[in-house]
Amino acid sequence: MNIPITEIALSLWVVCAVLIVFTKKMYRIIITFGVFSLIGALSYLFLGSPDVAMAEAAVSAFVTIFFIVCIERYYKFGMGLEDEQAEEKVKFSAKSVGRILAPTGFCVGLFWLAMQHLPMDDAVTVLRDQYLARFMYDVGGMNAVASIVLGYRVYDTLFEALLLVVSVVAVAHVSWYDKAEMIDRRHSEIKNSGVARFTMRVVCPIIIIFGAYIIANGHLTAGGGFQGGLAIATFFICRYLVYDINDLPIAKVMRMEKLVFVNITILPVLAVFTGVTYFATYILPLTSDVYLVAMNILIGFKVACGFFVLFYRFVAIERW
Amino acid sequence: MLEYISFAIMGLGLIFMFFGIVGIMQPNKDFYYRLLVTCKIDTVGIITFFIGLAVRHGISFFTGKIVLILIIMLILNPLVTHMVARSAYRGGYVSKDELEKRKLR
Amino acid sequence: MMNIILIVLFAYLFFSMIRVAIGPSVWDRLSGLNLVTTKIILVIVIFASINETTYLLDFAMIYALSGFIGTIFITLFLSNRNRRKLEEFKEDAETEQENE
Repeated sequence: MNIPITEIALSLWVVCAVLIVFTKKMYRIIITFGVFSLIGALSYLFLGSPDVAMAEAAVSAFVTIFFIVCIERYYKFGMGLEDEQAEEKVKFSAKSVGRILAPTGFCVGLFWLAMQHLPMDDAVTVLRDQYLARFMYDVGGMNAVASIVLGYRVYDTLFEALLLVVSVVAVAHVSWYDKAEMIDRRHSEIKNSGVARFTMRVVCPIIIIFGAYIIANGHLTAGGGFQGGLAIATFFICRYLVYDINDLPIAKVMRMEKLVFVNITILPVLAVFTGVTYFATYILPLTSDVYLVAMNILIGFKVACGFFVLFYRFVAIERW
Repeated sequence: MLEYISFAIMGLGLIFMFFGIVGIMQPNKDFYYRLLVTCKIDTVGIITFFIGLAVRHGISFFTGKIVLILIIMLILNPLVTHMVARSAYRGGYVSKDELEKRKLR
Repeated sequence: MMNIILIVLFAYLFFSMIRVAIGPSVWDRLSGLNLVTTKIILVIVIFASINETTYLLDFAMIYALSGFIGTIFITLFLSNRNRRKLEEFKEDAETEQENE
């Protein structure tokens, strides 16, 4: 008996999406969005893209936190918990149903038209076969996704790293932060709970060891620099919940992130664009793996630093 | 033989979790009641389920990783429950019995 | 046999999602979210056990490690927000609760 788990997960995903669309209260939307991203990661896993699933699962925590901070900033005292718990009535009028159904029908029609004219020749799959046959010799590693992202598609990776740097710089530029006004009374409540403090202290080393494992194992199994960096950034969130934040070198971490970005740009220029990895696999089989591991470690370090700065600028020391 | 033992243990875990689901679907009870019933029984179900899986796979790498996940869940699941209940209590959520007591005063 | 367990776990997942959808208070939804997380971890572990692959267990680990932090942040902000409100309307707090 073979049960259709992929279809079940996708249908649950659609149910979550409909719930998100039809609710109006912010906290309900955020909690339902947590379920949505978890089930989305599950269906990514079933559909056969484990790297995306791991990235989605690691990002969902950060997405939740950033959404909550945005809502707290924009609805300061306007929407209390009484408003959240009040019953809402969904009215089904012809106009609202049409507003939802028209884009959906348009997308379904477009999809149907595209399926009619999809070229099913061999020309589509030649490049895929070539990549899958040659990635071990060209770039190295066992994970095809990691070697494609870090080998054939280095430009994309560089641009994504640049995007993260730009967003961190933008957040640091926009946020108004003075040392004199650094009052942190938001996480003082969790300090009073002995259970939470003890448990966080137990969990913190497990998280950082697991992140290091994902980064170092990224060229062999699913995972890589981005996912491991996110896991290490989760460690800093746990640290924020338990300890004081007065002695954090945030400016130094920002400078370090930019330096690591420079290293990330230099390393592919030296290794990939000159063809060193291509020749090195024929001489010494381990050399290309060294390139992949180094890139993963650099990217993981940079992502951890970037999300560290984002989190502490955006959540911890911002006045709101 | 070990297969059937492991399936029996996993079925026991599923039964525990079924009690948890019944507990959370009680419409007329309070929030604290549901939280107490559900999350305790859910943790017990996870423990039983993972023990069954460990019996199924014997002594192997798989079992080691499963034990690691079990330890993490055993630490984190009660923590989340504790934080939810604490937040509800501190945020001023009052159960029905408590409301009636206050009205009597 | 494992397929039956998977189907039962998906049914539990669906009922936990119902609690997330209909829960009267925010904390009800949070406990439902916690249940959904544990059920998804169990589904992944069963999936790995069917396929006999160990690398799928990393996903269960990262779900367990990063899923709880969002829930804890939501609870933290909820209690803080209500405490701030209670400080502002100290006199009206009890009457508001009784009117609920």
